[in-house]
Amino acid sequence: MRLTVNGRNHDVDAAPDTALLYVLRNDLELNGPKYGCGLGECGACAVLIDGVAARACVIPIEGCAGRDIVTLEGLGTREHPDPVQDAFIREQAAQCGYCLNGMIITTKALLTRNPHPSEHEVLEALRYNLCRCGAHIEIVRAAMRAAGHVLEARD
Amino acid sequence: MTDARSSEQRKRGSLSVVRPAVLGAEGAFETFITITSDGSVNAYNGHVDLGTGIRTALGQIVAEELDVSFARVVVILGDTAVVPNQGATIASETIQITAVPLRKAAAQARHFLLARAAERLELPANDLTIEDGLIRGHDNRSVSYGELIADETIRLELADDVAVKAVSAYSVVGQSVPRVDLPAKATGELVYVHDVRVPGMLHGRVVRPPYAGVDAGPFVGTSLIAVDEASVRDIPGLVAVVRIGDFVGVVAEREENAIKAAAQLKVSWKPGPVLTDLSDIEKALRANPSTPRQLIDRGDVDAAIKAAAKPMQRTYVWPYQMHGSIGPSCAVADYGDGAIRVWSGTQNPHILRGDLALLVQRPESEIDVIRMEAAGCYGRNCADDVSADALLLSRAVRRPVRVQLTREQEHAWEPKGTAQLMDVNGGLNTDGSVAGYDFVARYPSNGAPTLALLLTGRIAPEAAVFEMGDRTAIPPYDYENLRVVANDMPPIVRASWLRGVSALPNTFAHESYIDELAAEAEVDPIEYRLRYLKDKRAIDLVNAVAERAGWTPRPVWKEPEADGDIVRGRGFAYALYVHSKFPGYGAAWSAWIADVAVNKTTGDVSVTRVVAGQDSGLMINPEGVRHQIEGNVIQSTSRALMEEVSFERGAVTAREWGAYPIIKFPELPEIDVLMLPRQDQPPLGVGESASVPSAAAIANAIYDATGVRFREPPFTPERILKGLHGEQPVAPAALPSPAPPADLSRWQNPFAKRGGVLAGIAALCAAAIGIGAAVLPWRAIAPIARPDASVYSAATIARGKELAALGACAVCHTSEHGIVNAGGRPLETPFGTVYTTNITPDIDSGIGSWSYPAFERAMREGIHRDGRHLYPAFPYTHFARTSDADLQALYAHLMAQTPVRAETPANTLAFPFNLRPLLAGWNALFHQPQPLQPDPSKSAIWNRGAYLVEGLGHCSACHSPRNALGAERQGAYLAGGFAEGWEAPALTSLSKAPIPWSEDELYAYLRSGESRLHGVAAGPMAPVVQELAALPDQDIRAMAVYLASFNETADRPAHDALAAKLEAATAVATAASAGARIYQGACAVCHEVGGPPLFGSRPSLALNSNLHSDAPDNLIQVILHGIAKPAVTDLGYMPAFKDSMSDGQVAELASFLRQQFAPGKPAWTDVAATVGRIRQTIAR
Repeated sequence: MRLTVNGRNHDVDAAPDTALLYVLRNDLELNGPKYGCGLGECGACAVLIDGVAARACVIPIEGCAGRDIVTLEGLGTREHPDPVQDAFIREQAAQCGYCLNGMIITTKALLTRNPHPSEHEVLEALRYNLCRCGAHIEIVRAAMRAAGHVLEARD
Repeated sequence: MTDARSSEQRKRGSLSVVRPAVLGAEGAFETFITITSDGSVNAYNGHVDLGTGIRTALGQIVAEELDVSFARVVVILGDTAVVPNQGATIASETIQITAVPLRKAAAQARHFLLARAAERLELPANDLTIEDGLIRGHDNRSVSYGELIADETIRLELADDVAVKAVSAYSVVGQSVPRVDLPAKATGELVYVHDVRVPGMLHGRVVRPPYAGVDAGPFVGTSLIAVDEASVRDIPGLVAVVRIGDFVGVVAEREENAIKAAAQLKVSWKPGPVLTDLSDIEKALRANPSTPRQLIDRGDVDAAIKAAAKPMQRTYVWPYQMHGSIGPSCAVADYGDGAIRVWSGTQNPHILRGDLALLVQRPESEIDVIRMEAAGCYGRNCADDVSADALLLSRAVRRPVRVQLTREQEHAWEPKGTAQLMDVNGGLNTDGSVAGYDFVARYPSNGAPTLALLLTGRIAPEAAVFEMGDRTAIPPYDYENLRVVANDMPPIVRASWLRGVSALPNTFAHESYIDELAAEAEVDPIEYRLRYLKDKRAIDLVNAVAERAGWTPRPVWKEPEADGDIVRGRGFAYALYVHSKFPGYGAAWSAWIADVAVNKTTGDVSVTRVVAGQDSGLMINPEGVRHQIEGNVIQSTSRALMEEVSFERGAVTAREWGAYPIIKFPELPEIDVLMLPRQDQPPLGVGESASVPSAAAIANAIYDATGVRFREPPFTPERILKGLHGEQPVAPAALPSPAPPADLSRWQNPFAKRGGVLAGIAALCAAAIGIGAAVLPWRAIAPIARPDASVYSAATIARGKELAALGACAVCHTSEHGIVNAGGRPLETPFGTVYTTNITPDIDSGIGSWSYPAFERAMREGIHRDGRHLYPAFPYTHFARTSDADLQALYAHLMAQTPVRAETPANTLAFPFNLRPLLAGWNALFHQPQPLQPDPSKSAIWNRGAYLVEGLGHCSACHSPRNALGAERQGAYLAGGFAEGWEAPALTSLSKAPIPWSEDELYAYLRSGESRLHGVAAGPMAPVVQELAALPDQDIRAMAVYLASFNETADRPAHDALAAKLEAATAVATAASAGARIYQGACAVCHEVGGPPLFGSRPSLALNSNLHSDAPDNLIQVILHGIAKPAVTDLGYMPAFKDSMSDGQVAELASFLRQQFAPGKPAWTDVAATVGRIRQTIAR
């Protein structure tokens, strides 16, 4: 099975019904997407498939053939972060960071289809991404910053 | 971690500050600081970073005391081989307690180096300045720390009386510093414990016992009967199945195969033990045996209460809650003969090491627990069970093994935050003062031994009692007559510390009760508190928060002005979080003012704004403190509003986020954080304090809004409605479903899975034997050599291939994972199992010896080449209608296939169904083998459609009802039937779909697998659409034209308008039932109309035929089994929920969906029983 991930082709020796998540993590050794629920409920495993947010825990690789898959690693690096990653770092938008992958990917997908979302649209776009530490405030600020909003400084 | 260690060894000289090891060999020591000759600094702390940013704050402390730049300091946490043993990371102690020796060590190193520099530079020490490890004299000569150390190994023993810097001299501490870990986390570069990869690593999964979440009782470790290893023999790369007591695990080369093996492994357990009924928490806690422990007794409480003018007795109840870590626990273990390494996300590495040593009977000195970053755990990883699981599996296979718990296991088995019961007796004197305060808490202990120790029988599963329920049990108010008793009791459900521990429930009671006192006394609740608050810092904080929020005194409750159904209110609560072993010590002071909006019609409570004030003493990293306050506000708001573990027969039943919802982004309150400047005071723990006032502030605000006291979180819509309006029937009693019309027979044919009308069987036999006798016998048609397919044109073969797709031959004639058309697929029937045959052109096992006349006879008359009757699972009644030219083409295609030798397994039919001649009678009664005649009154495209649908397409084989003998009923063509446990809905105007089928929607559905106005193809229909992909558009259009003719004339604008209306009318606005919450947590992500786009389709439930049907079967099928093989991959996939939800939960969900999305239809009855029945059937 051939997969295109972060702009590169990978031939993967896994059963066609294997969830994309396990192939990304184990065969491609990508740490960004995380296992959170296996049911598409929490968003920790999010990746972009053809530019749209996708839950890699419920999509088998047989559904990914010929599609363009981008993970957190494919967005940018510490040295050259994507603007969304940069906004999350600047706003310190994580505590444990386990959900961070999904938050960044979902924000990226949002900005791709709607470059200037309102705060309400950001909240709705992130509705199905769960964070348990309570980093929500910074996450929303990061998404707003990435969307080009000028944020009020915090006292 | 390994980098830090190996680089340390490479360097020549170093300066360390150490202390003798608490445990360990003579002469062993623990290191706090190491400065190496290259000037780098390693700081070691026994606590770990649970995602709170402690790593960053500790680095600041070290940089400050050592006078080096923050960037130079590497903080190493929790690795048992190198860090000091400082106990578990609990109780917000790291900054307040465990950072103290680290800070001293850094200061001591600085003093040492400064003295040495003074000597070297021959200058007095107080003439020297230090900047980032460079010591400079007034004459501008300088020497660096590294140069002072050179190649020496210097070891200083940590002194007690080290002078540390004055706060006024701080330049790093007290400044906001960005977290050191976030850039790597935001780019996928950080290695969490979940990301550890070790050469040769295998993947393991565990199988947990059925007593979900309970870890004490004689059944623990003794309930396993058998593990059937043969049940997983087909799993590729399976390495081992491990069983020790009730511990069961599997190990495989690949993770997905370990997951499959764990799900597939047949494990039998003894019948479930009788567990404590937890449907009534108060009752369960009162019944749990306990030992009272008096914490304080001041004044004469009994006399004071007896004399009270207004006695007030109140009970407050706290539910079981989850830590709810977003990342299920994970660990990697490598069991070697001389050394054991475990990569873990534990909160208490040293304690875990002791447990692991006990588990595998090896000395602690051989075990290295390497603490990696993990998902936020809030106390859960006090019992990092998975490390022990991984170690047992690694020991069994002698290779490194990674284990991650499933979400379901994490939910079910995480040690919970325990339930708690608080009784307050007291009252008011005539002057409105507090007469007395008699407080009794009941708190089940939260020891949570490492699970594997219990499951393997290494330790006895006894419910241990600890003194734990006393945190903040003494109220912060100076009541004259005060008695506080903590009732210590064993756990009921497995539990560990959860943020705010017993202090949060205790404070819920204290702060609710004083609000009740103030209301009775008709005094503003803040003013009333201030009368009893003597702590200056507390008073300052309360006043500051009141001012910030613009609090207006509210001495007497007044009905607020309603805004429609919404009433608003505001509540206050305060706490000094007192933690650790009683009497413990205080962390940061915290106070909340919460604003709520309560919808009196729906019962929804939203917390709209929180002003959270905190006095944290010195804040090492003020931004870090703010994040902790915000995190606590959000998490504890979630806990107060919606969180409660559900149980069925005493075992945890919430196994995913629908059954245990947590707060979502749109539900966030606005948060205004007020941090009091107290940089001159000692630093205090800030990890939990801001959660402690939460529930009381919210309850007090709800009282302010509604005039009703709520004394048991979570404040769900059901509780609010009950509180506001008293006990009401939850919903209007569901109307019984109308009795199914006699013609809604669920027969597909004699081979349908659904049982049925056995009464007809006798008649079938009698009729068949009678009629059959008249027409026997059938002749065999002589075998031929395999025909040469090259006699057929490529075009004919291609056409035949299309026709095979139309007939979906391969769907039935291919076994799971088998070769196409080689047969062997079992068809379960009420009468036994029929296996489909090999229709590849193999001479012996397939149809290679079949002449065209033999093939045509089979297709038209249902007779095998050898003269045997074929069972009408094979839809020859339809195939008979096919033209001769098409049958020729189909024959050509089949003969052009590669022959595959594959014997068909023998059918296992019971008498008399194994008597094929009886089928002759059936045919005589029900089969008319004439080809279809076109209807001249209809269009050519209609006739084409009729030919495709009625012939090879055999749509009505599933979509028409059957009579008692399994034949399609006359006069009910396409009126709906059942197939393979799925309803094949009516395709005519009898359809239950809320919007009639139109030609365009039929076309879209058959072509793409989805109609926006109806839903997606699932179950047995998905492969049919997959096969239809081979047909040209005009044939699909013809089928749509023909099928549409059975429906009313389409009116597209009207249909679109109706769709929009239905969707708007059924939008889910509230979550007032368990079913609604499951929908919001599990389903809405992919089904909510207008939700954020995700890969795949977004089927609208309001329009979905299955929700409007008389039978819930299809809905239940798809919830249980998901859609693993969609018609086309663009539709996306639906996960199966069968292993994540109980029958009861699926039934609640299905019932909610019916009520919500098909509001005009009667409720389904016996849904739970239907779930149970469908669960038994084989998923497609």
